[in-house]
Amino acid sequence: MSKILLVEDDEVMPKIIARILPPPEYEVDIAVNGKEAIQKLEANHYQYDLLITDIMMPYANGFEILSKVKSHEREKPIPVIIVSNAGNEDMIMEGFKLGVDDFLKKPIIPAELVIRVKRLLMRNK
Amino acid sequence: METTLSDILQDIRSIYYYAPLAIKVAIIFIIVAVSATVLAYLVMLRSRYRNYRQQRRMARMLPKIDELLMNEIIANPNIPHDVAPSKVALDLEPFDELPLHKRWGREMLTERIIHYRNNVSGTAGDLLRNLYLQLDLDKDAMRKLKSRHWNKKVEALNEFTLMDMPIADVTILPLANSRNRELRAAARQAYIKLSKNEPFKFFDSVTDPLLPWDQVELYRIITTTTDIAIPNFARWITYSSNKSVVSFCMKLVVHYNQLAAVPAIIKLLENRDHTLRAEAIEALGRLKIAEVEDRLVHLYTSQPLFCQIAILKALGRIRSGRHIDFLRNEFLHSTDFDLRKAAARAIVKNEIMAREVIDELLATTTGENLLILKHCMNPLIKY
Repeated sequence: MSKILLVEDDEVMPKIIARILPPPEYEVDIAVNGKEAIQKLEANHYQYDLLITDIMMPYANGFEILSKVKSHEREKPIPVIIVSNAGNEDMIMEGFKLGVDDFLKKPIIPAELVIRVKRLLMRNK
Repeated sequence: METTLSDILQDIRSIYYYAPLAIKVAIIFIIVAVSATVLAYLVMLRSRYRNYRQQRRMARMLPKIDELLMNEIIANPNIPHDVAPSKVALDLEPFDELPLHKRWGREMLTERIIHYRNNVSGTAGDLLRNLYLQLDLDKDAMRKLKSRHWNKKVEALNEFTLMDMPIADVTILPLANSRNRELRAAARQAYIKLSKNEPFKFFDSVTDPLLPWDQVELYRIITTTTDIAIPNFARWITYSSNKSVVSFCMKLVVHYNQLAAVPAIIKLLENRDHTLRAEAIEALGRLKIAEVEDRLVHLYTSQPLFCQIAILKALGRIRSGRHIDFLRNEFLHSTDFDLRKAAARAIVKNEIMAREVIDELLATTTGENLLILKHCMNPLIKY
């Protein structure tokens, strides 16, 4: 089972992702803002196989979470996918500079997200 | 002795009758103020109660709607993959459990479908649009579009835009020229986004000037909308009788680097309106059309001040280095401060070809001219 942390303040997106990445193959843990995401990461000792995050969120934005995840000492850093509708060129560049592994612009194609998630999980195994 | 209501009213009436004028005015004022306060409270209570009822309905309905959209549309394994999503005949029976015979029920489902479409695209997005059409939810929006209230029309336009629903030109074009700013902006935005072939057709029918704010809004919409068919703006630059449309189209030509429209802009150099002429010169400069430099220099002496400044700036932007002597003369001999400054900046922008001239000017000029030149050479100063 792959453990995924989804950070998203929109109420619909977690429902969609939870449905397209169903158990038992995936376990999707949901945080509704940056602060909660950091708390969940720390409480679980960064033991996630993948992080999917939005950028614009209350308390801590996606880039702050990304920096936190990438700076955490782990044998293999958690792969990160950014799913956001705030995808201007500067933000995409900023994300890749900080080490994001993939970038998807909202509205997403659900099947595409599944493929990208599978690919990243395979790569990190 | 027992006091009845009529006695009390009688007392009030007699007090009011014998009271001085100031007291009478005060009593009326108090009665009006108290009534207005009570009325305001009642209105607030009513609106709060309606909100509360709406929240309760939402709390009851949204989980059902989410489940239906998820099971029947987004993650439905029975939807055939070999049929285009817009042609799939959806099973609408499960949606019968929603109160779609009531307006609020339909509005709630529409809002939710739009919310989902903001998050998913591709087949799922198209299926959601198909559901919206098969449930006839578009008819409500069409009704709103015919409403007398502008805010309802704006709501309908936004809904059609988000659902990617085409609207007939006869319906939307009059709205694109509405006197109401919000409605006008929403209609233009909808037209640009929904009209697949001619998103700028409303330029033909714009009668009033495009206000600066309209232009900013339109520019934002046009430049941020993807998959938009970009026409040759020369059509409006040449034929539009609306100066603001011509001016705006020149900005779009520059944005899209539309070289095919350059001859139309060059023709504007003969226009009697000096504002348009100055804008045409600016556009040619921004497009870096070197072939027009000689003509600009030739025109220079016959132009008003701000066209002259535009010419000097254009020469600075084109940077061909062919008119350094002309710029040097203007810098040294012009009596107008702005012209000297524009000439100096143009010389500095032509730095590669004008290195010797800049060195010479630095060595020979004094006073204000030297200050201007040094100011223009400072890369930290933009203006």
